[in-house]
Amino acid sequence: MEFEWSEEDRSYRAELRAFIEESLPDDWEEISKGGPGSDAQAKFSREFCAKMAERGWLTQHWPVELGGQGASPWRHAIVGEEMWTVGEPRGQQYMSVNWVGPTILEFGTEEQKDVHVSRIVRGDSLWCQGFSEPEAGSDLAALRTLAIRDGDDYVVNGSKIWTSYVEYADFCFLLVRTDPESKGRHGITVLLCPVDLPGIELREIPAVIGDRYFHEVFFDDVRVPVSCRLGEEGGGWPIVTFSLAFERVGAARYARASFTLDAIAEEAKRLGRLSDPVVQEKLGRARSRVEAARLLNYRIIDLRVHGSPPTADTNLARVAGTQAESAVSELALEIFGSEALAYGHFAEVYFRLAMWSGVATGTTEVNLNLVASRMLGLPRE
Amino acid sequence: MDFELDDDQQAIMEAVGSLLAQRAGAARAVELGREGKYDGELEAALDEAGFLDVALADETGMLEAVLVTEAVAAAAGVAAVGEASIVAPGLLGERPAGAVAVVCAGAGELVRFAAHARTLLVDRGDTASRVDLSPVANESVRSNFMVPVARVDVDSLEGESLGTGSGATLRRYWRLAIAAECAGLMSAALDLTVAYTKERRQFGRAIGSFQALQHRLAYCKVAVEATRWLTYEAAASDADAEKTALAAAYAADAAQQLFVETHQITGAMGYTREHDLHVFSMRLRPLMLALGGASAHARAATGARWLDGAG
Ligand SMILES: Cc1cc2nc3c(=O)[nH]c(=O)nc-3n(C[C@H](O)[C@H](O)[C@H](O)COP(=O)(O)OP(=O)(O)OC[C@H]3O[C@@H](n4cnc5c(N)ncnc54)[C@H](O)[C@@H]3O)c2cc1C
Repeated sequence: MEFEWSEEDRSYRAELRAFIEESLPDDWEEISKGGPGSDAQAKFSREFCAKMAERGWLTQHWPVELGGQGASPWRHAIVGEEMWTVGEPRGQQYMSVNWVGPTILEFGTEEQKDVHVSRIVRGDSLWCQGFSEPEAGSDLAALRTLAIRDGDDYVVNGSKIWTSYVEYADFCFLLVRTDPESKGRHGITVLLCPVDLPGIELREIPAVIGDRYFHEVFFDDVRVPVSCRLGEEGGGWPIVTFSLAFERVGAARYARASFTLDAIAEEAKRLGRLSDPVVQEKLGRARSRVEAARLLNYRIIDLRVHGSPPTADTNLARVAGTQAESAVSELALEIFGSEALAYGHFAEVYFRLAMWSGVATGTTEVNLNLVASRMLGLPRE
Repeated sequence: MDFELDDDQQAIMEAVGSLLAQRAGAARAVELGREGKYDGELEAALDEAGFLDVALADETGMLEAVLVTEAVAAAAGVAAVGEASIVAPGLLGERPAGAVAVVCAGAGELVRFAAHARTLLVDRGDTASRVDLSPVANESVRSNFMVPVARVDVDSLEGESLGTGSGATLRRYWRLAIAAECAGLMSAALDLTVAYTKERRQFGRAIGSFQALQHRLAYCKVAVEATRWLTYEAAASDADAEKTALAAAYAADAAQQLFVETHQITGAMGYTREHDLHVFSMRLRPLMLALGGASAHARAATGARWLDGAG
């Protein structure tokens, strides 16, 4: 075992930090207060990602022949941590680089890799995730959006919900049912669907947590070329499982929690409250949660480095992450006090971010069920 | 001992209930919330019907004021009812005309209802003071917490001091008002969540049939009921220092639990403005911060029971 970063990793982190500091504008906090889907942040993210791409930093953990640098997943983890710390200036790009790209690399045709991978590497394609439906949330396999083969196209009908960032996306990683008779995990297919096709309508669902987090996406006889299919017809489920394993840990949310907690302690100090034993205790407890989340996330990266297939360790890490965020956000409101009531205040923005940690990309309960069955070997309910 | 509402109390609750059914409700709160507005019409209607004056009326008292405050919160009424009908009468022995806001000096400047209030009651520690806000325009601040909030420069507003010990009196009634409002908001949030889990189906069954959720909802019910009875007894005790501190401490902890669980269990739907949960849940947050929150209430309770009575 070794818990230290290598010399190269340390100097890379320093370089990255300097780059971030120089790239973020003075009004970054204002820009980012509506979240990654907001108009202001989406616009900024495009420019920012182009700069990251110039340095090869969006996808350095990808193979060299595909535009990466063959760097270890640890390197990508450093990027994730530094990005989340400052409020994810990559915006929705984190999806492309964390899970869309790796999934296309694993399951895509040469042509699909050509089309999509180079664009992701350059930072000029934005993706959204078309998984959830009104009747298919935790029970994702209940999805019903139909895609019926007609010549060289699939004709898609149905609707998706909660789709984040679709407003600015170029493509949707879309789950459909290609066999209308099928149920559950069988008969599900993945389409890499351009979002500007005729017949696609969007509606934003106003959200408490920020701008453009949620949309409904309606498909009315949308013709998607068969060439957009990822993997086999009906072979979507293993692809979904693969992509989720990446998604669930791809976001270094604990890094933002850690940064926020330091700021909370700083504020407590300024207020003369750092000597209060009650405050000390709460800060210490929250800090232990954050560190637990960090280590459980590192554990998964390490498993990946060692070539292990995805395990329920990812679910464990997500739950620990949510616990950490919850502890930090409670303390953020408590210490910043009534100032945190203002929309856009540092603590308020964090509170809104932490609020949905236990629901998005699989709820805490779903994660716990997987830990119980896969790790603890308990019988299913 | 009798835990049932008497006939008069029942009549008040029915009357206030039908007024609220007409004039309050989550949909109205959402509409007002969009622009951070105050429901002056609701306040006027409650005032006209006498509901804001039950604390000082001959046949009724603080308990009735608590019941009214709880009912208004459960109906998402966007008016400073606890402040006007519990805190002001308790502290001043009268209810000033117009809306009332309450603030703790030195604990931040963003105050609920302060842009609309005509009277500000300030906790200055040992003493409390009463400030006439009519000539003051407090600046509204955009907030996501479903009640209008404004910035108040407390230090520049001296007002009339209410004498030694008045600070403690203010805190007793303020804690009572906080607990009563929490009780109403929490019970509405829980009702919405329970109803949702009966309707929402995943994996071929109502999500409310999963025991992983049932127990947590049942714990929430424990918290709501306990908050209510602690609050009622505190009200009936003339807002005793220990009892009000305990009610507020319990309520603030319960509010945190209710916030987390109702949102977790409602899933993505609960984060939208198209579902009513946020109207109640978000509004719990400013209440949880008031007067230093659960920690401070709990210390006040310890002070009242085992130390020198300070709190
Ligand atoms: C901020 C945010 C962004 C999102 N972005 C996207 C996106 O871009 N694309 C996309 O496709 N989706 C997106 N989602 C949707 C997300 O994937 C779903 O919210 C999630 O899968 C849960 O589904 P649900 O909200 O329908 O909750 P439900 O499945 O209805 O669950 C409600 C409650 O029931 C519990 N429950 C369900 N089943 C069980 C069980 N078997 N045992 C115990 N408890 C159970 C849940 O844990 C939860 O507490 C987003 C969600 C959020 C909050």
